[in-house]
Amino acid sequence: MDVLRSENVELMFGIPGAATLPLYDELLDSGIRHILVRHEQGAAHMADGYARIKRSPGICIATSGAGATNLVTGVATAYLDSSPVIAITGQVPTNVMGSDGFQEADIFSLMMPITKHNFRVTDPSTLATDLRSAFRISMSGRFGPVHIDIPKDVLTRENGVQPPPTSVDATRPGPRSDEALVAAKMLMAAERPLIMLGGGAKWSRAGTEALAIAEKLAAPIVTTLMGKGAVPETHPLVLGLVGMHGRAAANYALDNCDVLLAVGARFSDRTVGEAGSCNMKVIHVDIDRTELGKNICPTLGIVADAKAALSAINDLIDLKIHSSMWSKSSGDMMGRCDCDIDVCEDPISPRKVIFELNRILPQDAIIVTEVGQCQMWAAHFLEIRDQRTFVTSGGLGTMGFGLPAAIGAKFAAPDRKVIDIAGDGSFMMVCQELATASKENIPVAVVLMNNTRLGMIKQHQRIFYGNRLTAQDLSGVDMVKLAEAFGAEGIRVDDYRDLVPALETALESEGPVLVDIQINREEDIFPLTLRTAAGSTVYRGSCPYNGGC
Amino acid sequence: MEVISMIVNDEFGVMQRIMGEFTRKRINVETIVVGKCEVPGKARIVLTVLDKEMADIAVERLGRLHDVEDVEIVDESRQSAYALISTSKGWIGLVGSRNEVAEIIERARPEHYINTVNAL
Repeated sequence: MDVLRSENVELMFGIPGAATLPLYDELLDSGIRHILVRHEQGAAHMADGYARIKRSPGICIATSGAGATNLVTGVATAYLDSSPVIAITGQVPTNVMGSDGFQEADIFSLMMPITKHNFRVTDPSTLATDLRSAFRISMSGRFGPVHIDIPKDVLTRENGVQPPPTSVDATRPGPRSDEALVAAKMLMAAERPLIMLGGGAKWSRAGTEALAIAEKLAAPIVTTLMGKGAVPETHPLVLGLVGMHGRAAANYALDNCDVLLAVGARFSDRTVGEAGSCNMKVIHVDIDRTELGKNICPTLGIVADAKAALSAINDLIDLKIHSSMWSKSSGDMMGRCDCDIDVCEDPISPRKVIFELNRILPQDAIIVTEVGQCQMWAAHFLEIRDQRTFVTSGGLGTMGFGLPAAIGAKFAAPDRKVIDIAGDGSFMMVCQELATASKENIPVAVVLMNNTRLGMIKQHQRIFYGNRLTAQDLSGVDMVKLAEAFGAEGIRVDDYRDLVPALETALESEGPVLVDIQINREEDIFPLTLRTAAGSTVYRGSCPYNGGC
Repeated sequence: MEVISMIVNDEFGVMQRIMGEFTRKRINVETIVVGKCEVPGKARIVLTVLDKEMADIAVERLGRLHDVEDVEIVDESRQSAYALISTSKGWIGLVGSRNEVAEIIERARPEHYINTVNAL
C-alpha cells in the first residue's frame, strides 16, 4: 500500500476473492479508492481506459484462479495497444501452489506472453521492490502492462519492509543526430513525402511536432487506427484514417508517396495490408527496436521516442514549401471525398449517428469505441478535432472494451464528457458494467448503434462468403429494459429526428445512459480497402462519390 | 548455425519467458546449455538456432526482456561443441569444434548420443 500511495495511485478496479482479502483489508485504511466491477475483464479495461487518458498506470486487481484468468483478455488488450496497466492477482498460498488447490491457476505463465514483464512474489521482503519495478517497467520505453502474482501468505507475511524510492525514468530517448540528419535530408529531397502517425505518436503526444514538419514540407499526414486523434483531423494536411477501413485520400497518399515517415506505427496487416505492399522509402521511428524490420524493412530505422525524434528532425529541416502538386492532389482528393453523411432517412443510418455526434460532442469529449462496424464507422467518419480524444482497442480488437474503458476514462477525466460508441454485439459482452457505472454514478453515454447483428461478421459473410449468413443474428434483446435493470437510463430511438434530443439527454445526464439507436440493419461500412503487393482492391458500397470518403 | 549467449536471472520462470520469444517467432532452438556462471544470482544460457536472420530477431526480442541482462551472438572462435555418446565400451564425453565432434559421432555411430554447443 505504501508503494501504491507513493506512486500516486488514486483508485483501482477489481473484484475481491479469498486470496486477495488480506489486501482488501489493508485497502480499507489506505485512502485508495476501489471500484467494485462486475467482471474482472471490466476491471482490466477500466484500468486501461484510465491509463490511456491519464498517461500513467491504471491498476486492476483480481483474485486467484478464475478471477485472474478473467483479467487475461483485458491485459492482452493493453499489451497490444501499449497501455501501462498494472494487473495484480491473488494466488493460493505458497505451500499449496502446484497442488491444484482451490482457485489455483498458473496465471504467472498465462500472463507471460501478454505483459512486458511479470512477477510472482514468493518472498514477502521483495514485494515492495517488485511493485515499484512494475510501475517503472510499465512506463519505461514502450509502455505496456505488467503483472504481479501475489500468494496469499506473502500478503499476510508482508512485514512492512520499506519500499525503495520511486524510480520512474522519465527520460525519453532521442534519435542519434546523424540519423535525424539523414531523415531530414530524405524528407527534404522527397517529391511526395507523407507522415504516418501510429499509437506511439499518440502516447508520446507528438502531434505538434508532426504538424510542424508537415507544414514545412507541405506533407500530408495519415493516421493509423491507434494514431487517430494524434493530430486534429480538421487540419488541411491531415487526411485521416489509413488502412482497411481508412479514407480514400489517406490510402491514396500511402499508395503514392515516395518517402514515408512512419512514427510509432507498426505496419499492421489492417493498416498496410500484405507485407511487401510498401514500395516507398520508409523512415521508421519507433521506441521499440523490435518493431523496426518486423513487418517492413525501413530505409532508415530510428529507435527513439516519437516526440523527441520528430522534434530533432524538425529542427534540421530548413525548407518551407507552401504547396506542392502532391499536397494539392491529396488535398483535392480529400475535398472530393468529403461526402455528405447527413442521411435523413429511416431506418437510421449509422453515418447519421456519427454526423450528429460530430456536431454536438464537446470539443474535449473522450470518444471510446467498442469493436466491429461501430468502431469503423467512428474511426472513418468521426472527426477528432480540438481536444477530443479517441480511445479504441486497435491491436487485439477486443469486443467488450468500450463500456468499461469509457468508465475508466471518466474516472481519469471527471470533467470531460465520455461516450462509448457501441454495437450491440460488443456491448453485450460487458453490459453488466452498466451496473458498476450506475452504482458509482458515472455518467457515461453508451451510444448503441443497434443492428441486432454481429455486423462485421454479416458484412464479411456478405462480401467474402457469397452472402451465406450464419451465426450473426443477435436479435431479441430489449436494450432499454436491460439498461433500466442495471439502474441506467435507457432511451430507444427509431426515428432519425429523435436522435439529437436523445444524444443531448445522454450527454447532459448525471448518470449512465444507454441510447438504443435502431440503425439500418443492412448498412455496411465502406469503403473497404484490401492492399496487396499487386495493388489495392476497394469495395466502395453505394457512395455517390465513388466510395471516396 | 548461429550461437547466442546470454546472462539471465537464475530464477524460476526465466527459461519459460525466454523460450516464449522463440515460440512466438516460430524459431526452433537446436541446442541449449544452461548453467551457473561467474555472476552471483545469474545463469548463462548458450543456445543455437539455424540461421542468422532468426538469430538477429531472437537477440532483439531477448534484449527487451527484464530477466535478460546481456545477450549476444558469439563467433566460432568462442564456441565449443560437446557430446556424450554411448558405445559398447561405455559413455564417452567429446569436446571439440562443432565439425570435429560431428565427425566423431558420424564415425562412431553410437546407439545413443547428445550433441550440443557451448560458448564463452
